[in-house]
Amino acid sequence: MRYYLKLGFILLIFCAIASGILAYINTLTAPVIAERKAREEIETRSALIPNAEFHEVQASDGSIFFEARDPKTQEIMGYTFNAAELGYSSTVQTMVGVDPDFNVIDIRIVDQAETPGLGANCTAATFTDQYKGLAIQDLYVDKDGGVIVSLAGATITSRCIANSVRKKAIQVRDEINQGGGE
Amino acid sequence: MRFTKELSKGFIKDNPIFILVLGLCPTLAVTTSVMNGLGMGFAATFVLLCSNIIVSMIKKITPPKIRIPIYIVVIASFVTIVDMVMAAYLPALHKSLGLFIPLIVVNCIILGRAEAFASKNNVLMSIADAVGMGLGFTLSLVVIATFREILGAGTWLGVRVTPLAYDPMLIAILAPGAFITLGFLMALMNMLKEKK
Repeated sequence: MRYYLKLGFILLIFCAIASGILAYINTLTAPVIAERKAREEIETRSALIPNAEFHEVQASDGSIFFEARDPKTQEIMGYTFNAAELGYSSTVQTMVGVDPDFNVIDIRIVDQAETPGLGANCTAATFTDQYKGLAIQDLYVDKDGGVIVSLAGATITSRCIANSVRKKAIQVRDEINQGGGE
Repeated sequence: MRFTKELSKGFIKDNPIFILVLGLCPTLAVTTSVMNGLGMGFAATFVLLCSNIIVSMIKKITPPKIRIPIYIVVIASFVTIVDMVMAAYLPALHKSLGLFIPLIVVNCIILGRAEAFASKNNVLMSIADAVGMGLGFTLSLVVIATFREILGAGTWLGVRVTPLAYDPMLIAILAPGAFITLGFLMALMNMLKEKK
């Protein structure tokens, strides 16, 4: 009995040392990771709507989108928001920039882990460029009667991107129209 | 000299993938491109090196009955460190390897070498073993990835090597392509071995 307690105790010591080291390294790397993520997001946002000033807006459901304003005239140049939906093997996150009439300016796939060679091709400009200039009602893949040509062998990924962008765009539009009088 | 022997055995004689057939799960998963193969190879080599050193250092104070859980704790700690450091300083690589890094914990090469080698040999030999095995693993990943990336995407390390008219064979970078490539390469290795 004592022998087994001793074994457990030794293992506990090993685990305690390991967790101590990990906790220390986590305090070193966590701020760097957070900062890098924040910077990447800002970079993507300014790539979608260049030369704009971004203001964070909180939607009624707690999600966040950004208003892009002209730095001089304060005129609204558009909105950016993140859309996410489960694709084939991962949650595909897309950052979308739209103009004040909710026509898509451009989209960027910011996070995905879809099948390499098929769904993972969704990050390619040849795919995302199709979204440029589309109105909300056009945001369907070809199989659902829209104009977006699906990626070969990755209908689920293509459809999830189109649907998530469309749903989120409608949500943000309604949000703005409601609060428009204020 | 024994040191050089332990160092070089990982490349051909005891190659972890083609001869020992260890660590196939990450091998099949990451070899879709040469870049991923290199990243995974070096990350695994680093973890293997650290874990071999520690396991060899603590072999006297490790009670034999609980050696496996202790090795797992050591390995998992280093994997987590690699994961965090990579996410902080090499975000591009972390993006494409992110899913596979936790898999290093269960990479049989690392536990296998801790159990079969580092727990019985001194630190210096364990370093030689880890470096040899790790680089052998990396080399094998690169060889498999070379075939798969050229056939499946028409590129090598991201640079286009086939004429534009070549229509990439998608199957090569999908899971079946990994098994087929690995099978052919293993057959080749065995054929060469038997000729000797």
